[in-house]
Amino acid sequence: MRLRTWAFCLTEANQNLLRNPVLAIASITTTAVSLLVLGVFLLLSANVNQITNTIENQVAVRAFFSQSTTSAQEAAALAAVRGSPKVRSAKIVTRAQALSQLKHEFGDQGSVLNSLGSANPLEDSLSVTARTPSDVASVAKQLSRVTGVVRVSYQSQVVSRLFSLIDGIRAVGLGLGILLLLGALLVINNAIRLGIIARRREIAIMRLVGATESLVHWPFILEGLILGLIGSVVAAGASWWGYAALYSSASRSLPFVPLVTPIPFARDIALLLVILGVLLGTVGFRLSVRRLARV
Amino acid sequence: MQLISLRNVSKVYPNGVAALRGVELEISKGEFTFLVGPSGAGKSTLLRLLFREEVPTSGVVLVNGHDVGRMRRRQIPFLRRQIGVVFQDFRLLPQRTVVENIAFALRVTEVHPREIKRRVSQVLELVGLTDRALAVPPQLSGGEQQRVALARAMVGHPLVLLADEPTGNLDPANANGMMRTLLEINRLGTTVIMATHAAQLVDRARQRVVAMEDGQIRRDALAASYSEEVVR
Ligand SMILES: Nc1ncnc2c1ncn2[C@@H]1O[C@H](COP(=O)(O)OP(=O)(O)O)[C@@H](O)[C@H]1O
Ligand SMILES: [Mg+2]
Repeated sequence: MRLRTWAFCLTEANQNLLRNPVLAIASITTTAVSLLVLGVFLLLSANVNQITNTIENQVAVRAFFSQSTTSAQEAAALAAVRGSPKVRSAKIVTRAQALSQLKHEFGDQGSVLNSLGSANPLEDSLSVTARTPSDVASVAKQLSRVTGVVRVSYQSQVVSRLFSLIDGIRAVGLGLGILLLLGALLVINNAIRLGIIARRREIAIMRLVGATESLVHWPFILEGLILGLIGSVVAAGASWWGYAALYSSASRSLPFVPLVTPIPFARDIALLLVILGVLLGTVGFRLSVRRLARV
Repeated sequence: MQLISLRNVSKVYPNGVAALRGVELEISKGEFTFLVGPSGAGKSTLLRLLFREEVPTSGVVLVNGHDVGRMRRRQIPFLRRQIGVVFQDFRLLPQRTVVENIAFALRVTEVHPREIKRRVSQVLELVGLTDRALAVPPQLSGGEQQRVALARAMVGHPLVLLADEPTGNLDPANANGMMRTLLEINRLGTTVIMATHAAQLVDRARQRVVAMEDGQIRRDALAASYSEEVVR
């Protein structure tokens, strides 16, 4: 189509929107709200994920050797564990190191350990971090089978609780987002349908005088695109700038909480929202095509 | 070659009504043809087959050599650009001015704006509405509205003009004016087919008359009148 024909379609689409501003605003609002909810949940889950990862990296799995294990056996165990793809890092903590760390943690009260004299009741151990949080349990299992290992410990509850929290947030966010998106789709589709009905006389005349079907369709495609785009840009803008503001104030007051950075995370989510909005508008039109054919 | 030919054309609507039954009709370029007959005879159906608003149930409809009934969907717009249509109920866009209503037909077929301007003023003159160019349809009389519709039908320089009871909603004076304009359009070279039951107009025009009844052609005569009995 020629440029002026695009201009014609755009004018027609705008007229549809202006003819029924309440419906246009309703379409834009539902689109914006549903995408914003989706965006908020995506950001939330990205952050919980990041926090979990950070905590998990600090949670080491400890495998304790029996007192009778030789240092050669321990070195062999270390090499085997390091060879596992699920292991990020592994090191041997000797019983002497463990004791001095314990003393260090007791600080001023370190003298209570003096009563032990030269006896050291602690065992040598392997301190292992997993590559991803979900690998922790299997790494622990793997360690329990290593020769000489008598006991494995890690903070499993913290990890699994965080996991179920992430899953919960994802499920709720996705469910709510999809539900709201369907609502937005319905409203957009309705706006387009009403536009088709309002313009049926015009459409009939267009066909009578020999307009192509694509020319009949384009004003409505553009209408859907405009609605979806405006709604999604509002949602994307709100989630991006909102998150950027939150991030900058949080990183000042709670610097130890490892939030995801606005770029790339919030930016990519904003882009995703715009793409979804455009998709929403297009699908909203596709659902009305049959109605358009029957005008 | 004939501009329009119908060969053994029948049309049965989905509800079972046989609106046309074995119609044979040839119309050459430049002719003026009245399609007459009682209400329900099948006049509108015949016209609708010509611009592919309906497809024949059987038989062949040829317009300018194209088999309209079997034409591909995407070719239909290009057929319609060669056919002007006027209806009893005008079918104008009420919020748009006379000029915009007429130009609409060219804008949606991607004609250059300069050409649109030229042609619109041409047809406005043809139908005598130059001084009403910026009025909107609700401000116009029925006769004027029908002339706007006629101008819109003619602005694309169609091969054939189809008029389905164009004077049906007009008072006698306006009907006469419309009739004169249609004959003038024909004199300038456009083929015209007009469905009507305005006997007086038909009788005065002395043109070809195709009389239909019950979906069939009962009479086809040149320089004829509305009913057979009237002999001059
Ligand atoms: N779309 C339609 N669906 C079903 N029947 C129709 C339709 N259009 C016309 N008819 C029927 O076909 C017959 C011919 O109608 P029409 O062509 O409109 O006649 P005319 O224009 O001569 O009055 C009538 O009986 C009418 O009721
Ligand atoms: Mg009729």
